[in-house]
Amino acid sequence: MKPERSILPQHTITYVFLTLLGLFVVFPMLIAVSQSFMTNQEVNRWPPQIIPVEPTLASINAVLTQQDLRLDLWLRNSLIAATGYTAAVLLLCAPAAFAFARLKFPGNNLLFGFLLITIMIPSQVTLIPNYLLMRDLQWLDTFNALVFPGAANVFGVFLLRQFFIQVPTDLEEAAVLDGAGYFGRFWHVILPLSRNALTALGIFVFLFHYNDLFWPFIVTNSLETRTLPVGLAILNSSYAGQYRPMVLSGAVLSSIPILIVYIIFQRQIIQGITLTGMGGR
Amino acid sequence: MSANQRARLTAASRFSISLKTREILAAYTFLAPFMVFFLIFVVRAVVEAVRMSFYDWHILRPSRPYIGIENYIELINDNVWWIALQNTIVFTALTVVGTTIVALAAAVAVTRPIRGQNFFRVLLYTPSLLSVGAVGLIWVWLLNTQFGIVNYGLSFVGARPVNWLGDPGLVIPSLSLTSIWWGFGFPMLIFIAGLQGIPEQLYEAARIDGGSSADLFWHITLPLLRPTILFVTVTGVISHFQVYGQPFIMTNGGPGRSSYSLIFYLYQIAWTAFRMGYGAAVAVCIAVIMAALTSVQFLVLSRRIEY
Repeated sequence: MKPERSILPQHTITYVFLTLLGLFVVFPMLIAVSQSFMTNQEVNRWPPQIIPVEPTLASINAVLTQQDLRLDLWLRNSLIAATGYTAAVLLLCAPAAFAFARLKFPGNNLLFGFLLITIMIPSQVTLIPNYLLMRDLQWLDTFNALVFPGAANVFGVFLLRQFFIQVPTDLEEAAVLDGAGYFGRFWHVILPLSRNALTALGIFVFLFHYNDLFWPFIVTNSLETRTLPVGLAILNSSYAGQYRPMVLSGAVLSSIPILIVYIIFQRQIIQGITLTGMGGR
Repeated sequence: MSANQRARLTAASRFSISLKTREILAAYTFLAPFMVFFLIFVVRAVVEAVRMSFYDWHILRPSRPYIGIENYIELINDNVWWIALQNTIVFTALTVVGTTIVALAAAVAVTRPIRGQNFFRVLLYTPSLLSVGAVGLIWVWLLNTQFGIVNYGLSFVGARPVNWLGDPGLVIPSLSLTSIWWGFGFPMLIFIAGLQGIPEQLYEAARIDGGSSADLFWHITLPLLRPTILFVTVTGVISHFQVYGQPFIMTNGGPGRSSYSLIFYLYQIAWTAFRMGYGAAVAVCIAVIMAALTSVQFLVLSRRIEY
């Protein structure tokens, strides 16, 4: 029974390690939360205060009420843009993936191979031409610019095709005998059976877009159209010098919505991210 | 068999060509929406970027003369480009190595048969959900020279205050540390999936042969995880090579140009100096470097399949 005995000390080490790692992860966030309740004087003090002596809502209030900060609008914009983007990616990628996975047409393999090669081209090379296109279409400062340019997501097609191929064909054959056409096979057989894959891809692209900074930063320019990550950059450049707790409050407040979603859907999010990561291999 | 089905089967046997054509038409219909977007925002954009890189294209100037490869010649002689490239390489190397080690250790720990497995898994992934904005703002203050918690912690072991983000030699490692904290969750999940794919019998057999847990890790876990480690490091290289938000939020490229990354520099050229032609040349060069890195990924990963 040697293995049984060796388990206990091993687990002690595991717990110690996980606790230390957990502290490394949590401590920065807790400090930010704690200092959000401090005054400027209290934050600029040595030794640094971990717990506020007289907790105050002043900094949080300031972030929420300053004329040049619109966290409410930025959150709304981020949610609308990320939702729209996710919908666009799924609506474009799923039918394309179905065609590649299930339909015979000339050039199937050639076209799919071409798409795969373009995965190697990083999106940065498209930034300048797409920015100029947004400007010419007068889409700057609109949701169109946040939703459409990245919607043709080749990785999404690749991932969904992998999953669609694995769906057993007999169900589709049965549907065909019942009179289903191509759309019926796609809509009533493939999509319902691939719900996990669609959810996984949806979560993945939503989170990516929700936290994206570069593209929203260059295609939006008025206070009302910014997204949360861009708003935080603005908050930082306007207030970091003079009023630090406000900046921390902004970081904390902006993170609350996504953390609430995470607490509710932790299992789905962890599974979705894992599935997408593994599917990309 | 209903009349409908019989009709379909007869049609299938008699007009097999028209059925084939129908399938082809259906395929193109399913592909069309994606391809329209793909052609406009990917194919057209890439071609346009290459074309623009041969022009002196300033956004505020109406005349855009063709200048051949002058932009590329400028790039070769551009000091800042080489500084940014070097910074990006150092940042990527530090971050990928650090992230992989932390993620692997975390994954091994949370896949042990312990209580609270799921709690730790969920907890350790949390930073990855934050935006680079939130992460940057939190860490700038933690790393603050005068009032930062990191220097406070170090003062207990007698260290003098360190200027983490203001010292040219320390700024890249500091951004790396921040990025490891932010990003180790995703490779951790990949490693967890990889670890769960290793058959438990292998460990049992090794334990019966008297292997210690260190033996088990070095001789079973690590070799069997090799493909996963490759995947994590290579995708990590590609994603960290595109670093932009951390220097943008935390240092604005400074001190001096010590934390300019390639994408940060691209931003400066195209959206601060408005030099779209030169920016396109820079973007094309970044793309070529990254395409080379991605090809390495494909080669390395496809070799794995032969095993």
